[in-house]
Amino acid sequence: MAVDITLLFRASVKTVKTRNKALGVAVGGGVDGCRDELFRRSPRPKGDFSSRAREVISHIGKLKDFLLEHRKDYINAYSHIVSEYGRMTDTERDQIDQDAQIFMRTCSEAIQQLRAEAHKEIHSQQVKEHRTAVLDFIEDYLKRVCKLYSEQRAIRVKRVVDKKRLSKLEPEPNTKTRESISSEKVSQGPVKDSEEKPTTEEYPEKNSAEAQPELGTWGDGKGEDELSPEEIQMFEQENQRLIGEMNSLFDEVRQIEGKVVEISRLQEIFTEKVLQQEAEIDSIHQLVVGATENIKEGNEDIREAIKNNAGFRVWILFFLVMCSFSLLFLDWYDS
Amino acid sequence: WMLGVKMAAAAASSIRERQTVALKRMLNFNVPHVKNSTGEPVWKVLIYDRFGQDIISPLLSVKELRDMGITLHLLLHSDRDPIPDVPAVYFVMPTEENIDRMCQDLRNQLYESYYLNFISAISRSKLEDIANAALAASAVTQVAKVFDQYLNFITLEDDMFVLCNQNKELVSYRAINRPDITDTEMETVMDTIVDSLFCFFVTLGAVPIIRCSRGTAAEMVAMKLDKKLRENLRDARNSLFTGDTLGAGQFSFQRPLLVLVDRNIDLATPLHHTWTYQALVHDVLDFHLNRVNLEESSGVENSPAGARPKRKNKKSYDLTPVDKFWQKHKGSPFPEVAESVQQELESYRAQEDEVKRLKSIMLLKIRVLAPQRGIIAILGDLNLSVYITCSSLPELLEKKRLIDLHTNVATAVLEHIKARKLDVYFEYEEKIMSKTTLDKSLLDIISDPDAGTPEDKMRLFLIYYISTQQAPSEADLEQYKKALTDAGCNLNPLQYIKQWKAFTKMASAPANYGNTTTKPMGLLSRVMNTGSQFVMEGVKNLVLKQQNLPVTRILDNLMEMKSNPETDDYRYFDPKMLRGNDSSVPRNKNPFQEAIVFVVGGGNYIEYQNLVDYIKGKQGKHVLYGCSELFNATQFIKQVKQFGQS
Repeated sequence: MAVDITLLFRASVKTVKTRNKALGVAVGGGVDGCRDELFRRSPRPKGDFSSRAREVISHIGKLKDFLLEHRKDYINAYSHIVSEYGRMTDTERDQIDQDAQIFMRTCSEAIQQLRAEAHKEIHSQQVKEHRTAVLDFIEDYLKRVCKLYSEQRAIRVKRVVDKKRLSKLEPEPNTKTRESISSEKVSQGPVKDSEEKPTTEEYPEKNSAEAQPELGTWGDGKGEDELSPEEIQMFEQENQRLIGEMNSLFDEVRQIEGKVVEISRLQEIFTEKVLQQEAEIDSIHQLVVGATENIKEGNEDIREAIKNNAGFRVWILFFLVMCSFSLLFLDWYDS
Repeated sequence: WMLGVKMAAAAASSIRERQTVALKRMLNFNVPHVKNSTGEPVWKVLIYDRFGQDIISPLLSVKELRDMGITLHLLLHSDRDPIPDVPAVYFVMPTEENIDRMCQDLRNQLYESYYLNFISAISRSKLEDIANAALAASAVTQVAKVFDQYLNFITLEDDMFVLCNQNKELVSYRAINRPDITDTEMETVMDTIVDSLFCFFVTLGAVPIIRCSRGTAAEMVAMKLDKKLRENLRDARNSLFTGDTLGAGQFSFQRPLLVLVDRNIDLATPLHHTWTYQALVHDVLDFHLNRVNLEESSGVENSPAGARPKRKNKKSYDLTPVDKFWQKHKGSPFPEVAESVQQELESYRAQEDEVKRLKSIMLLKIRVLAPQRGIIAILGDLNLSVYITCSSLPELLEKKRLIDLHTNVATAVLEHIKARKLDVYFEYEEKIMSKTTLDKSLLDIISDPDAGTPEDKMRLFLIYYISTQQAPSEADLEQYKKALTDAGCNLNPLQYIKQWKAFTKMASAPANYGNTTTKPMGLLSRVMNTGSQFVMEGVKNLVLKQQNLPVTRILDNLMEMKSNPETDDYRYFDPKMLRGNDSSVPRNKNPFQEAIVFVVGGGNYIEYQNLVDYIKGKQGKHVLYGCSELFNATQFIKQVKQFGQS
């Protein structure tokens, strides 16, 4: 177990003071002590950094308090027990979300700023490390507070999603869900507010009609009594317009169909001609191949002929030369 | 009655938890620390000296320090820059240099406020020095709190502590037992030990009953400790053991037993080759303060002679209580450890496959089903899969890290075992120590060139020499000496052991190590084990049978109040008794539930493991093991060698 000896320390301080006074040693403290301390403290860089860091922390603290304060209302409002107090409308919730987000953004910007500054100005490694660590702590704190906010938000989103799922899956909801949906839809908009009464009116009706589920009719069924003559006319006009559009589309489609048929016919003829030509080209090809062969053979023959010619010539020459030699010989022999 | 139960539960909380709680409180400006998830951050700077560092590092990781709000942690005697507007927490020993440096800090006005915590009690004069410096620097108001923490010991495990790491030489075996020690030096050594033990008991919050053997250094320690505790208890105003500090920690019905033994009763255990995981790591690798340093050579290729030496990466791992595998298996025999790592690897792979499967299913759902039915419809399923995956991912990663760690460590140990044939030594030594017949002659093992380093052979021979009933004949001794010198051993330790043996023979009968049998497991299991990743061919699968080392036996006798000639004449001290501290007759006849064994002169993991195994068999009893320093066989031989030289 640790022992607190701070008091002992203070006592020793007093002892040393008195001893120094007795010895007449100039004491750094004494009357001037306080002033000296002040002097010594003020030129110290008062840590702009740390005061701003503390500011950021107090901001985050305020955000935390704000979130915690409204948390109960935020979450509770979806209970089916409709109470007067503590009910938040959606707009209020959105407001809270927005405010919280702005807050968080400013806080994180402030932290980034501090970080950039800290890196810029300071010289010593240890101080830099220290400041980085401090900023990490502050960011961590901010993250924890943001978690509070995001938890709340997640719950809210989940409820919306569940609601959507229910509404999607059951176009003809059974009694309970319809009731709950309609009562929930109360808060969703002014349009549907007026439908509350007709819903409850139709309720006994629809019960009997449940045997024949009609997709989407409940939307129409609900609206029939409500359409005023202007609306009927408007709808009719729109109907006409739509019919006209459909007709023109239909015509265009017909035309395109005819054109496509013609194109296919032409293509058939084209194909026929091409096939004919193919036969002719084949025969030409055969002929050309034959011609090539003949020419080749012709070339061979000519080559041979040249060779023979050359050979024949050589023999003639030889014979002539032999004759002339024999003549000369005979001539010499005779004389 | 409920209070009694709570107190009993609190008493069972380990020394490690207590020290951690004390440290956390100190770091929280000496106010008890409460976890608050949306609290505002406070930041501070921690300054410690080497003692403080050794105490904090096995207990708090850097991340935990960060969680407590510490931005920087620095050594006292390093260059420190002024950091304005930040409170500084000091955790130092009250020595002259530290005090001077602290006064210098005060003069230089490095920090905004100072919380001074001294590891052990500071003297009045030094306190006045600080006061002086504070006055001179007009910084008295800045010194916010001054505390004596009484934490001058290092806790390594839940139930194991060591006195110090920094100035081990001061309280080492050699320092206590060297022949040329003077009285004053002995006094200083004893005072250091007693101071730490006193801090230990203050933190534990209990006043023990002390028993020690006669005529040894342990007796001196016991007397001084008794005196110190007595003085503190008498001083009603400042007693550390009264009031609520005691209430939380007081064992409800019993006080713990402190058994002080001297290293000299059993010199064979520090030399013993071992087979359990933690002790092996300590013996074979570089392991201290729960950190093991491995040198890994990159690449497993056989380098041809003359090639460049392989690059070695140094890696260090922390083996902490958070490491579940370590906690489970640190006392298991090594083959079991290898198997368990395999099993963990298998289960990790299975889990990984499961996660992958979930992931692919999830992707399938997103790609195929979402366009059809809309993302909202499958949101519920998605959420579940994502949740399962995300929550198991950190676990998986952690598991992977641990598996890698232990694979590396176990592989390194295995390499050593194979290279030095440590299993052969272990088996042989067990046989020697239990006096069963030896199948191979000692001379064979010593002259075997590829079994073990010269040091291993020396250890084996020393154990043999220590445990034999009668000394070997001169001729035999000469033979052994020659074989040893051939193998490259230095014979200095032998001289010392001879002297020691002669001395202890005069004092008492040589220690008996109890009966043990080691069963080499059959061929079948060896074949089965070769399938495992750690190829252990040739490494016998030895099974440790429970045997009691001398220290464990002494503890058993004293704790259970058994009568035994060995322990009957142990002295008995009770600091709470008003007078008379020289009785050898214990007043308390009931067996103790809690005990603390402290070895003066050094201890090791083998003894620790033996104690843990012993106490596991006893329901509801706890044992803490402490020693003045922790050494493995190599370090012990080095110290003993120096005796021979001097």
